[in-house]
Amino acid sequence: MTERTFDPVSLGILWDRLISISDEIVETLVRTSFSTIVREGYDLSVMLFDREGRMLVQGTRSIPVFIGTAPVTLAHMLERFPPATLRPGDVVVTNDPIIGTGHLFDISVMRPLYRDGGLIGYTMSITHLPDIGGMGFSAAATEMFHEGLLLPICKLFREGVVDETLVDIIRRNVRVPEQVMGDIYANVSACEVGARQLVEFMREYGVDDLTPLSRAIREQSERAVRRRIREIPDGTYRNRVAIEAIEAPVHIACTIEKRGEEIAIDFAGSSDCIRAGINVPFCYARAMAIYSIKCITAPTIPNNEGSVAPIRVAAPVGCILNAQPPSPTAGRHVVGHFVTPLIYGALADAIPDRVQAASGMANIITVQGRRPDGAPLATLYFVAGGFGALDGLDGASTTPGPSNMACVPTEIWESRTGIMIERKSLRVDSGGAGEFRGGLGQEVVLRNDTGHPLTVFSMANRTDFPAEGLHGGLPGALREHRLEGRPVHPKSRQELRPGDRLLLLEAGGGGIGDPRRRDPGRVRADVALGFVSADAAERVYGVKV
Amino acid sequence: MIRIGVDIGGTFTDFALTGAGPELRLHKQLTTADDPSRAVLEGIATLAGAAGIAVADVAEIVHGTTLVTNAVIERKGARTGMLVTAGFRDQLDIALETRYDLFDLRIRFAPPLVPRPLRREVHERLRWDGTVETPLDADGVRAAVAELVEREAIESLAICFLHSYVDDRHERAARAIVAEAFPALHVSASAEVLPAMREFERWTTTTVNAYAMPGFDRYLGRLEDGLAALGFAGRLYLMSSSGGVVTPRTARRFPVRMLESGPAAGVLMSARHGRDLGVADLLSFDLGGTTAKGALVRDGRPLKHYEMEVARCYEHKRGSGLPLKLPVIDMTEIGAGGGSIVGIDDRGLMRVGPRSAGADPGPACYGRGGVAATLTDANLILGYLDPGFFLGGAMALDRARAEEAVRAAAAPLGLDLVRAAWGIHEIINEDIARAFRIHAVERGFDARRATMVAFGGGGPIHAMGVARKLRIPRVVFPVGAGVMSALGLLASPLSFEVARSAPCLLRDLDGPRFAAILHALQAEATSFLRDAGLADADIRVDRRIDLRYRGQGYEVEIAVPDDDLEAAFAALPARFAERYAAQFGVALIDEPLEAVTWKVAAAGPEPALPASPTDAAGTADATAARKGGRAIYLPEAGGFADVAVYDRYRLRPGHAVAGPALIEERESTVLLRPGDRVVVDPRRNLVADIAA
Repeated sequence: MTERTFDPVSLGILWDRLISISDEIVETLVRTSFSTIVREGYDLSVMLFDREGRMLVQGTRSIPVFIGTAPVTLAHMLERFPPATLRPGDVVVTNDPIIGTGHLFDISVMRPLYRDGGLIGYTMSITHLPDIGGMGFSAAATEMFHEGLLLPICKLFREGVVDETLVDIIRRNVRVPEQVMGDIYANVSACEVGARQLVEFMREYGVDDLTPLSRAIREQSERAVRRRIREIPDGTYRNRVAIEAIEAPVHIACTIEKRGEEIAIDFAGSSDCIRAGINVPFCYARAMAIYSIKCITAPTIPNNEGSVAPIRVAAPVGCILNAQPPSPTAGRHVVGHFVTPLIYGALADAIPDRVQAASGMANIITVQGRRPDGAPLATLYFVAGGFGALDGLDGASTTPGPSNMACVPTEIWESRTGIMIERKSLRVDSGGAGEFRGGLGQEVVLRNDTGHPLTVFSMANRTDFPAEGLHGGLPGALREHRLEGRPVHPKSRQELRPGDRLLLLEAGGGGIGDPRRRDPGRVRADVALGFVSADAAERVYGVKV
Repeated sequence: MIRIGVDIGGTFTDFALTGAGPELRLHKQLTTADDPSRAVLEGIATLAGAAGIAVADVAEIVHGTTLVTNAVIERKGARTGMLVTAGFRDQLDIALETRYDLFDLRIRFAPPLVPRPLRREVHERLRWDGTVETPLDADGVRAAVAELVEREAIESLAICFLHSYVDDRHERAARAIVAEAFPALHVSASAEVLPAMREFERWTTTTVNAYAMPGFDRYLGRLEDGLAALGFAGRLYLMSSSGGVVTPRTARRFPVRMLESGPAAGVLMSARHGRDLGVADLLSFDLGGTTAKGALVRDGRPLKHYEMEVARCYEHKRGSGLPLKLPVIDMTEIGAGGGSIVGIDDRGLMRVGPRSAGADPGPACYGRGGVAATLTDANLILGYLDPGFFLGGAMALDRARAEEAVRAAAAPLGLDLVRAAWGIHEIINEDIARAFRIHAVERGFDARRATMVAFGGGGPIHAMGVARKLRIPRVVFPVGAGVMSALGLLASPLSFEVARSAPCLLRDLDGPRFAAILHALQAEATSFLRDAGLADADIRVDRRIDLRYRGQGYEVEIAVPDDDLEAAFAALPARFAERYAAQFGVALIDEPLEAVTWKVAAAGPEPALPASPTDAAGTADATAARKGGRAIYLPEAGGFADVAVYDRYRLRPGHAVAGPALIEERESTVLLRPGDRVVVDPRRNLVADIAA
């Protein structure tokens, strides 16, 4: 086959079209999904691969978890089912956390792709399922076996014929079989649509072999990322962050070696795994590390193997950022999200104008009980804390970071659950003070109007360790939960009797720079809007209003 | 009946007059930004004079305006206060709690139109099912509004209570109290603006309505007075964003519904052409100076949508504006137009747009000081534009400046001039095709069976290229493409649409209750038409319901055209299953069906447009219309080749032109590629087929 070269026009056209194909499939999956976290948080991804298993493109709108994990998943799949043994119509699936995305909820669905009888590539989609059995979406498990059904790499379809036994196993192991199978089949169908579109793409643009295109995309991405990394001063940067765990706090640590056009991040020095579902498989820790670097170097470079090549990540086996079975991992984000402030803290002095102060992070609250009509109720409620400040930009209030999701509107929440939201307001003075202020957290009062007892628990942090500021900026306010006025630990299971109120005080984001350097006009504006109290304006910012 | 359509655009105000003689009369003049009514009044007088009629002879004036859009974008609306359910004053600041771009840490969000100090909480609360938890505190309403009016000097008020989409008794009661105490205050209540669930979007929509209301009222007052002074005694209508017109009375109550009405009118005109041509599926394509817009038309009706975003504040990104709920024509818009600037993206590849040189300084070839290379510069270099016949020769284009600009943009990429120019042209075609493809696929629309209607200054140059990529077999270049919106105004029926969120499982409903919900909405929607004097017999009703499987978050729209609503209820599950499978291609799921949003649009009769004079088809030989030839770049030929240039005004029905060729008119140029073939239809539309 002749080697094709691509100029800066045609490469862009082909590349953008491929991204568009994957984006289109992402949207279809979101529209048909039964999983709240897929819809409100885009907890899914779609990827296209060449014949060698190298990723060409990935859907644009996915959460960071999926960066750089799919090629590893595909490699494991192809080891189990070598390409020569695959047939048209095969569909391979797994939800193995260690080779996938870090917890059992995410199912990876892969389809080999043929054209004129020859294998030309692969499509893969991953979505967070509505349920996977076990203990539900919580950190309460002490072993992975408690967390639900694990599907090793297996064929869900063989040459177009579904494996009924496998379907039966899944259906019998989950709480909402129709919805889980609905979502899995939506993935199968999405991969099929992706396959059709990829073949169509090749015909339309006269591409006989994806491999040279895939190489050009990788090389172009890698060059661009290297260019941006070069701008960071060389050096060795370290940081260590404490995180509330179940009993004693855990720590994560990093050493970042920046040399020339490459970055190496080592998580040595992090705590060991613990017996609670907040351990982080390495794939997830690596994805969060790459995401954090991407945001401050090359946010617009599409995800592919080239864009991650200059960033190497390592973590000692068995540490909390490289969990091994049977350590439970359902709530891997609880610790994993701290990789971002860990890395930004390390690089704060090297690139002060690019890093972000820590964010208040989102609170994901699991609610179990009954609706007013007696039907079972099991759902999640998201509430965002404040976003961390950047040099030159205040942090946005009530904005989640580093991961992303959307709050369910009060009107929808109340009608779905019968749980009343009495109040939802900004928390004055909760944003970390600074020359650029951290985003405000909020106060939410939930009242159990279901007429039934309600169990509530969360995996939230920032109860002991606030979102730290940078360069003299102050930390944001801590997160607190109060049941009927009495402080309760957010990670403990609480029972709300009918009529009981739970107050959520959400954490603020960290500030950047000395608050006394803040433009007094902006301090006054904050006071006028009620974001900062007159007292704090005088005491912290030195501005009398 | 003499009718005039007036569309205010950013640069020009366009006029179209019908009914005075067989010919359509057009007029264009500069928009008067300080007071847009001035150009409207001057233009109407000018046009009437040219047609030899008195303004008193005009029976109807239909008006489309960007006034509301501009007030919001430029933040020049009224000082507006807000009454809100106790506990939720901060909802406008708290917003959606989501980031619209995950990788850009510097994204910004549009600040609320009503700042926090102008919002007051009121003790009142409904539960989700509409029952009262806390009765309305009438004294509290009075005191809060008195303070807002007397101390804060608000001119307009938004009343926004939770769950009012289920039952708006508290909003109505509060409105009555305010009306009594402050009769001069403008008031907008959220359930009246649109009874849709999702408080943030509904309340934001209500604040936009309130914010625009006083200014719009004053504008209409000036316009009405001015028209009366000219002797106008006919009916005035205003174009709404959903593709129908409303009375000034309705427009004053719902100015938010006048957002983006100009583009809506253009789509409506496309739909009208489609109906005339007997086309079932149609893609309306408008390429202007800064953006390209696409909209789908099925069976002669533009597809609707119930969300839009206005006043984006960060790099034109989706999510950075104010998210609204209101019925609009479902349009996709991308930052690709004649003024789109060529650059290099972060990958190191060529990019065109979304930044635009606009009209001032404009593309380099305008010679008005612009140095950035733009799409128009590329089209000039490729020979598609005639430097001496731009805007009919009203503006000379400078090819040397275009070359200089494109060379400078291409140098860092190692591209030569022609490759770069063709790359710019082709990237725009790709960007537009990609956006339209996604738009079509998400709506289960098969472009390969559709016809494109192309207009706008740049549409005709790019239409055939975009259509090829979408595998659309036929493109229509309508007559009057330069004033599509003004014509569309004349093609729009009187209409009003109501969309209500009322989520319920179908199994909890029965035929009579199903019919009752729709009848109630129908009564509300038609009341606006009856007020305008329409008889029931002349009112056409269109009903649609959004359905989904329980547990999903997105819906599929199902039409309910039936007279027998109870029978329609029984048929709903089957209709849904069919549509769902067609759109998503997935197996059926055994979850119960849930109806979410109920939509009823009432419309009056389609205004008759005088049929354009139809001539009997003559010979296919178009030689008489040939005005010359020039060399243009043809990728198929691997370089420049001489092609014939035709004068559109000399083409007659039956004439046929085979590509490669150019057909020029004042506002635009049709580019035909090898294999394309145009035939002039009896109405003098150009109908182009692409070789299979």
